[in-house]
Amino acid sequence: MNDLLIAGGIGIAFGWALECAGLGDPPKLAGQFYLRDFTVLKVMLSAMLTAMLGVFWGGRLGMLDPGALYVPETYLLPQLVGGLVFGLGFVLSGLCPGTSCVALASGRVEGAATMLGLFAGVLLVGLAFPRIEPFYRSTPHGPLTLQRLTGLPYGVVVALVTVVAVSTLAWIAKREAAQ
Amino acid sequence: MRLVRGLGIGALALGLVAPFVGSPSRTQQRGLDLDSIARAIDEGSDHVSARQLAEWIRDRRPGLRIIDVRSPDEFHDDAIPTAENLPIDQLVRSRFAPDQTIVLYSQEGAHAGQAWVMLRSLGVTQAVFVPGGLADWREEVLSPLLPANGPPAERARIVELSHYFGGSPRIGGEQEGEVAGAAQTGQRSRRRGC
Repeated sequence: MNDLLIAGGIGIAFGWALECAGLGDPPKLAGQFYLRDFTVLKVMLSAMLTAMLGVFWGGRLGMLDPGALYVPETYLLPQLVGGLVFGLGFVLSGLCPGTSCVALASGRVEGAATMLGLFAGVLLVGLAFPRIEPFYRSTPHGPLTLQRLTGLPYGVVVALVTVVAVSTLAWIAKREAAQ
Repeated sequence: MRLVRGLGIGALALGLVAPFVGSPSRTQQRGLDLDSIARAIDEGSDHVSARQLAEWIRDRRPGLRIIDVRSPDEFHDDAIPTAENLPIDQLVRSRFAPDQTIVLYSQEGAHAGQAWVMLRSLGVTQAVFVPGGLADWREEVLSPLLPANGPPAERARIVELSHYFGGSPRIGGEQEGEVAGAAQTGQRSRRRGC
């Protein structure tokens, strides 16, 4: 029960942060795909950077065990196809699953429509699962991380990702200031 | 804007220092808990039979994760349904969710048993292995020998399970029934290799 309460609290905080960042607005999200609005990239990059540095330094200072964190397994081909379907839905509706909840909570009808499509998709996949299961479990690679993929030490991967993320954020800030 | 710039510089500093402070996992390295390993072996909670595994797969046991520790070539030749290939050298670099039931198997069980000890030393306590490996899977699930004098319900259960995985049970005589009984208690002579 405590876990559910914590999850609920985190979910509400996450939704509030998304709304504050303006990610409940479909044109803003779709703008990322047309390179008109970089809000999505800024939010995602800063969130990943914060989480990565938090896990690394939290582990280094003995506050948490990075080994206890669950890394979902990679199934290359099915996840590639899933990513394409997800991206298509994202650009068509201007919302992803999380932001569609936020949009609905803010009273936007697009949020309700996207969530309806989301649940219909979940239902369809559930019904078709026995047939698509062999494909769903094809090309398994285990829990794939950048560290495992490149063979580089954890700290070096953290440094490289930080440099790429901060450089990209700085470039976006410069671009926005010029406009 | 000044705050954003400060946060960016702070993140950059934390990221660039990261390669020089070592791995965060190193401080969390677990030792080999010999008492718990001995207890698990003694209680038999370290392994699962091929037939029990087949029932778990058929019943879609939540959180079940079957890992084939053999080489990719061997895995592509033949493998237990729903298994993923994770050779031993990759196994130690993998992460496992606490609510998963990890089942390890190899060709005949020895490597899976060694992989089980490795996982225990890494603190993964929810793992078991198939003692006879893929050979047991073939013998107990795909081509099980039906005991001639066994209870009909037990025979039907074995037949149903075997058919579920596309196998075909062998009908044994009284003598073969004894062989099947011996196989179940692990008194076999074919234990060689890994």
